[in-house]
Amino acid sequence: MKESIDKSEHPDDVPGYCYNRELFYGFDKERGFTRELSYQNQSNQVIIRQSWDALEKRLEQVQEAVRSGNVSPIVYYMEKMLMELPMLSAYMGLNRLRVRWHMTPAGFRRLKPPMLERYARLFEITVEELKKPGFMNK
Amino acid sequence: MVKLDYKHRQAGHCESGVTSNLLNYYHFQISEPMVFGIGAGLFFSHLPFLKMQHAPTTSFRVWPGMVFNRSTRALGITTINHRFRNPKDAMNRLNEVLDQGIPVGLQVGTFHLPFFPPEYRMHYNMHNMVVYGYDKETYFVSDTLMEPVVEISYDDLARVRFAKGPFAPQGRMYYPVKIPAEVDFKPAIIKGIRKTANNMIGVPFPLIGVKGIRYLSGKMRQWERKLGPDKASYYLGQVLRMEEEVGTAGAGFRFIYGAFLNEAADVLNQSWLREISFEMGENANKWREFSYLGSRNCKKRGKPEQSYDFLADMLLEVADREEKIFRKLAKIN
Repeated sequence: MKESIDKSEHPDDVPGYCYNRELFYGFDKERGFTRELSYQNQSNQVIIRQSWDALEKRLEQVQEAVRSGNVSPIVYYMEKMLMELPMLSAYMGLNRLRVRWHMTPAGFRRLKPPMLERYARLFEITVEELKKPGFMNK
Repeated sequence: MVKLDYKHRQAGHCESGVTSNLLNYYHFQISEPMVFGIGAGLFFSHLPFLKMQHAPTTSFRVWPGMVFNRSTRALGITTINHRFRNPKDAMNRLNEVLDQGIPVGLQVGTFHLPFFPPEYRMHYNMHNMVVYGYDKETYFVSDTLMEPVVEISYDDLARVRFAKGPFAPQGRMYYPVKIPAEVDFKPAIIKGIRKTANNMIGVPFPLIGVKGIRYLSGKMRQWERKLGPDKASYYLGQVLRMEEEVGTAGAGFRFIYGAFLNEAADVLNQSWLREISFEMGENANKWREFSYLGSRNCKKRGKPEQSYDFLADMLLEVADREEKIFRKLAKIN
């Protein structure tokens, strides 16, 4: 089993995350339990990558929805920050229904500057970027 | 400026690593697996109705905070646990405690941790680390995941301590205050093992413990038909991420637990525990194999190399092994 996990198996893979070694425990019959510092092995790299790929895919769908005017840019930035509605409303200190209203284009249009400012600060962007995300220009 | 002579040691699991390092600071020798075992950290649950990152939650450990609380209580160590309402109080209190020369354990959210590997930047609020000093606006941090010791600014620290979302830390900080001179490990170990055995085989609820593994196995068989190949592979990936990614030291804590049983055999002078610890090690390797084969499924979407049925069968085998192990462990005295 040990060998089959080894990095040499998928030479075509670009290793993503290898600059911080972590402590792993292991076991085999001869040596008993072992501790060693190593990078995440190849199979773990695959599953880490998968979640980021899934995020990218979701972001593309949301971009499409924002462009076609179905949802407001807040949804896009929320997904980008890996948040979901309950978490966003907790960070904003607002009722969930209110945040959901801001997620609609109509609700978003009527947002006052201070509220836009608060959203922009949370998403770590400027108000202009919030109103008109970069992907809208392409 | 305060900078304590705190020894940074990496660990497999953040909370038991932090606990063991904090106690070692006071020259109380205890290893990470020992803390994990006495704190009865091993667990399994699969909750399909609770979604995290758009996939069902699978957990291989108990709630955050439990390992620290249980292990210190069982060893007769007095600790202090604080939660706060606002960041300012939380940070002032942290400074006061550091001024007294006490390193402090903190529960934080990982998303805004600046030193954290970007690959791990999820909204994961159950991470633990130790602050062992500060200089004006800079805090010195020992994070058991990271190889070197790191630094964090006042603002960032206040932000991660008050991360929002599920299991929000609310500025939780904890530290041991009084350690008895003589500590008897034996009753603590036995209590911990009994507790874990009960969690794994004694809870009459189908989503928890060994039954939970079987339940997950049953669910897994339906994923491809019900959700389509893409989502099925994402769900599988989520199980594997919880099992292997951050802070489990591999195979969903099974390796650490095996190492604990191995150590317990010496302390309790019961050689049958060593045999069981080896069974646990084999079992952990089986989990490893499962995650290895599973990850190949995640890689080739559309045409999985191993069918979900095959993986589900593997889980059933693992469940049988664990049931056997814990039936034996439950009889400890």
